[in-house]
Amino acid sequence: MTDFFEANMDMLLFTGTATVKVLVFLSAVMGFTGLLTLAERKVSALMQDRIGPNRAAVFGLALGGLFHPLADAIKMVFKEDFVPGRAEKLLFTLAPVFALAPVLALFAVIPFGDYVMVFGYQVDLLIADIPLGLFFVLALSGLAIYGTFLAGWASKNNFALLGALRGAAQMVSYEVVLGLTLTGLLMIYGSANLQDMVRAQGGLLFGCVPAWGVVCQPFAFILFLTAAIAANKRGPFDLVEGESEIIGYFLEYSSMRFAAFMFAEFAEVALVSMLTATLFFGGWQVPYLYETGFLFPGGGTLPLDHYLISAMQVGAFALKAVFFSWFMLVVRWTLPRFRFDQLMGLAWKTLLPLALINIVITGAVLLALGKL
Amino acid sequence: MINVKKVNNRPLNLLERIYLWEIARGLSVTMRHFFVNLFNPKGIPTVQYPEQVIPLPGNARLRTRHRLKVRSDGSPKCVACFLCQTACPAACIHIEAAEYAENFAEKYSAGFDIDLSRCVMCGMCVEACPEDAIAMDTGEIPGGAIVREQLIMTKENLLGNLPGEISRVGAANRLANEYLRGKE
Repeated sequence: MTDFFEANMDMLLFTGTATVKVLVFLSAVMGFTGLLTLAERKVSALMQDRIGPNRAAVFGLALGGLFHPLADAIKMVFKEDFVPGRAEKLLFTLAPVFALAPVLALFAVIPFGDYVMVFGYQVDLLIADIPLGLFFVLALSGLAIYGTFLAGWASKNNFALLGALRGAAQMVSYEVVLGLTLTGLLMIYGSANLQDMVRAQGGLLFGCVPAWGVVCQPFAFILFLTAAIAANKRGPFDLVEGESEIIGYFLEYSSMRFAAFMFAEFAEVALVSMLTATLFFGGWQVPYLYETGFLFPGGGTLPLDHYLISAMQVGAFALKAVFFSWFMLVVRWTLPRFRFDQLMGLAWKTLLPLALINIVITGAVLLALGKL
Repeated sequence: MINVKKVNNRPLNLLERIYLWEIARGLSVTMRHFFVNLFNPKGIPTVQYPEQVIPLPGNARLRTRHRLKVRSDGSPKCVACFLCQTACPAACIHIEAAEYAENFAEKYSAGFDIDLSRCVMCGMCVEACPEDAIAMDTGEIPGGAIVREQLIMTKENLLGNLPGEISRVGAANRLANEYLRGKE
């Protein structure tokens, strides 16, 4: 038995750390997503001079509505799980899974910290350190279209099918833009590994400005955020299932199947904010914080403990993710919904040429700097 | 003279067509509201109703739970003319009319039910009443109930004057009052 452990120590360590990382990070993401459903209602309420949900209470303790996600979940579980008589039963059941699984899988490549030393072992703070992380992101977010389209098609409902068609057209169009906006980043960092891209953002430009993606590629940042919100079917681009007027693809869904779609949508909000933070705002990087502590551009230093630095970096990443989630909620409740022709026109006539121009300019600048 | 407002349908200028600056302006408005309300929740006009009650305006337009007024001798003012039941758009009033045996000049309502689960609180019954017998000035806001029967107001629930209110003695009720007193 001991021989087995000694012989397979590397594999066991890898499995153990990976399991712990998945459990910790995924439960953090799930909890954050649950809170996002509350945050959406609270943020919109505060923006509209209302108070928002504050009634769900446990033992008379409301905590400003903190138990509402829990109450929603309980309500969803006990609702009737309805399947239309003419629906494709198997695909109807699979569609919520197709919507939720790619989103959750995508969190695997998000680096939420640098590394932390545990009992002399170096534990990377990201679940799957795959070399082509960025392409993994694009591929799996493309897969999320299946969830939308299967839901609309398997319901055997004309309105759901129309919603799914709108959704598929929108997501395909904006995935193209999404991929092209990230090309500029690939050219600058020369790597598709998200951890490498974050490490590359740790340097300084002109000796004082952090070399974050938004500084190097401000144009791509705006394009990426627009395309990501649109591919996520949110914000001003939520006409796939605009609650107030247009019937969406999950028209026939009820109870936890419906909740799975909503959960996927909010998980995507968390994912897009984490991706934005990772690609454009330095991920877990804190400005001027290096492996030994703070090194300010003026020459001042502040050495810090390794664990404190790691905690600060993970905290910085969480803070950035929370900020962009909040920003997406504010955008959603501020801007009026686009019309469908405006939506497609924005993707193909505006964002796509702009993304291509961005690539050309980035290439020209890199060539001029002699880095190509 | 008719007021004419000229709408300025000028074409959008470049800054507006780029849309980003306008987005920033819109976001500044909503974010201002967000932060003002986040740090000063007392400024939000929401009334947390069951716990927090603001005084209702006590004017004639107040439309709260109904009541049937009584005369100074305790007899109901209602003469069962059915005008309120006819005027009711929600068909929530149900009256059973009866006659005083000795007084053919006046009817009274033997039963007067208002189904609050149907009532839309429009106040048309009050408008229709020629006897000023029904009013919606109790100040009670009807809420929900566990069973529907709890929302049906009967004549017994509805009769009564507000505390301190002087009831007007009606014109055609002397015989009726005498009849009712004779029955007691």
